[in-house]
Amino acid sequence: MALRIVHRNSLKCVCNVARAQSTMSAFEIQHKTPLIKKQHPIPVAMYGGRNAVTMLPGGGIGPELMDYVREVFKYAGAPVDFEVIDIDPHSEESTAFDYAITSIKRNGVAIKGNIETKSESAGVLSRNVALRNELDLFVNILHCKSFPGIPARQKDIDILIIRQNTEGEYAMLEHESVNGVVESMKVVTESNSNRVARYAFEFAKRTGRKKITTIHKANIMKLSDGLFLETSRKIAKEYPEIEHNDMIIDNCCMQLVSKPHQFDVMIMTNLYGSIVSNVLCGLIGGAGILSGRNYGDHYALFEPGTRNTGTAIAGKNIANPLAMLNASVDMLNHLGHKQHASLIMNAMMKTIAEDRLLTPDLGGSASSTDVVQKVIDHILQADIRPW
Amino acid sequence: MSVLTRNIPRICVQASQTVAARSIHSSTNTNRAAALAERPDTRVTATLIPGDGVGPELVYSVQEVFKAAGVPVDWESYFFSEVNPTLSAPLDDVAHSISKNRVALKGILATPDYSHTGELQTLNMKLRNALDLYANVVHVKSLPGIKCRHSNIDCVIIREQTEGEYSALEHESVRGVVECLKIVTAKKSQRIAKFAFDYAIKNNRKKVTAVHKANIMKLGDGLFLRSCEEMAKLYPNIEFEKMIVDNCTMQMVSNPQQFDVMVTPNLYGNIVDNIASGLVGGAGVVSGSSYSAECVVFEPGARHTFSEAVGKNVANPTAMLLCSSKLLRHVNLNSYSEMIRNAVEKVLKDGKIKTKDIGGQNSTQEFTYAVISNLDLPKA
Repeated sequence: MALRIVHRNSLKCVCNVARAQSTMSAFEIQHKTPLIKKQHPIPVAMYGGRNAVTMLPGGGIGPELMDYVREVFKYAGAPVDFEVIDIDPHSEESTAFDYAITSIKRNGVAIKGNIETKSESAGVLSRNVALRNELDLFVNILHCKSFPGIPARQKDIDILIIRQNTEGEYAMLEHESVNGVVESMKVVTESNSNRVARYAFEFAKRTGRKKITTIHKANIMKLSDGLFLETSRKIAKEYPEIEHNDMIIDNCCMQLVSKPHQFDVMIMTNLYGSIVSNVLCGLIGGAGILSGRNYGDHYALFEPGTRNTGTAIAGKNIANPLAMLNASVDMLNHLGHKQHASLIMNAMMKTIAEDRLLTPDLGGSASSTDVVQKVIDHILQADIRPW
Repeated sequence: MSVLTRNIPRICVQASQTVAARSIHSSTNTNRAAALAERPDTRVTATLIPGDGVGPELVYSVQEVFKAAGVPVDWESYFFSEVNPTLSAPLDDVAHSISKNRVALKGILATPDYSHTGELQTLNMKLRNALDLYANVVHVKSLPGIKCRHSNIDCVIIREQTEGEYSALEHESVRGVVECLKIVTAKKSQRIAKFAFDYAIKNNRKKVTAVHKANIMKLGDGLFLRSCEEMAKLYPNIEFEKMIVDNCTMQMVSNPQQFDVMVTPNLYGNIVDNIASGLVGGAGVVSGSSYSAECVVFEPGARHTFSEAVGKNVANPTAMLLCSSKLLRHVNLNSYSEMIRNAVEKVLKDGKIKTKDIGGQNSTQEFTYAVISNLDLPKA
């Protein structure tokens, strides 16, 4: 009997060793060591090495970009099965939307375009915001990194924007107290500020970043932004190896356009994040290239970096597929499929830097399908075959 | 003399088929890569466990077909057997190989119904536990050209295979009284239920049926059933129903078309698997697979070693070939996967070459060559 126990344990060791050889992916970290224990853990949708992922194409150029992603994944052999859920932007009721949330809770991971909310009645919330709140995706990460080969005002930028994603100015608490006087509440809580700051420092530590800058307007909003700033200073003390400073949002914007290289990792509240990320996107090449990541304790959501629908260019075959492909690469990295991620990333890099195949928004003349086809060609020529 | 004359044409046919197959193989091998849009210089490694009984013969058949089709798969072969422990590779090595390669093709391991050493776990169970291969999927589908009592059967049986009656916890508490423990846990029940529903979503299935015996085992099977019910709430677009296992087996033989995806605890799954396999042509034609989070083992759906046929060259390689086709699809070699599946289906549909189990007279080898000559190799 004792022998048998020893035998079984040694087996377990073998498997654990085999698994531990590849370092844990973010997906595994999220599901095996969550910061806050799930009350009802739903088993992970990963079977035989394949992940199930919810795909929300959204409106505008979303559906065509998602088609490109699926096409590229097919050729790269990425082990991902998509569960596609279309949400009708005109519909007032939210059955499809609720189903999408259920689906993300089941799968744990989603990739999305921008979901339009056409309804103008005040009772209907923005679905993008509702999605983040419902899934408690408290942090948004935008990695602004210059692409070689894309014409841009600033070269060699490598900045991480970490943004509080569920409260602040986006609390959606507005009311007209007296006729002609509207109050909009900005909500900052200590627990959420804490989580974001903690996440940022952990992230910096994991990825070897040196400096974190907190962006705020605590000179005016002494209590709300003051709390955010205070919290991040407190957390910073626990990470002496990482340099921490802070900057006021208006100054930050000026510094960004003049001397962006001084920044490394930036943390900020919701609205500032929205503004700063758009500034940076503009600096390195527009809305069509960067991807954003939203993380909660249990779920992860990947999307193009700037949240524009692109309705005006839908169906014209000129939308830039890079942003969504970048998001899909982020997703593969998160799931731990590093080989596939780098296969697609390298193919994209070659398409931009060597073939100089750019869509009109970057000053080129290639169509979306040209770019995607070239990326697929590069994938087929690569001499690795991950599956 | 008469035997010889009767066999000569057959031998000639065989020989010509072999030659034909070889020549096709060599002439198109060079340009196939471009036609298939797959990279020829990178290859996939998979673990191969031939198993007991006719397993090695069937695996040989698969290897022949792979060779002819030019499939870029390298095998890491392990002799693994419980009835022949001296020759068997250590479990650690096999488990390590599978967890490294993440795919395996496996024949059936014979499990003796006595134990010399007092060991209660079979080798199969040890392998499953070592790799946590918790979900067994058997897709039972009527094949063209095989005459059966029922047609148009298309159901998927998903079976939890790491706990339940197979926990290998048995003891004789008092002389003449043996207790056998059936273990059901919420965690594993939820996991298998979610697997079944996710399978249904992925493969566009409409209904999931939970098979249980909660009217008698109110706590054990009750927990399994409750877990399925809870999970069903997360899948509003999939119909969920429950059925007691005795009724289920009756329905399976009288009206099997009503079933879509079925989710079952360990032992019931084993039984239902075998009933369903019997309905579509027996153990020789049904393929299956076992999943853990990281790896997949493809193996025939109904687990029979067919050891009485060893060396007689009569076993049906269909199940193993279909398994290999599924393996290729899993590792993203879709065109090869389809090529092999189509060839097998064509041979079955033509009905000229049939092994004994489906009412023919042909040998395993003849069937294999028929598949090879039906491979739709891309033109150079």
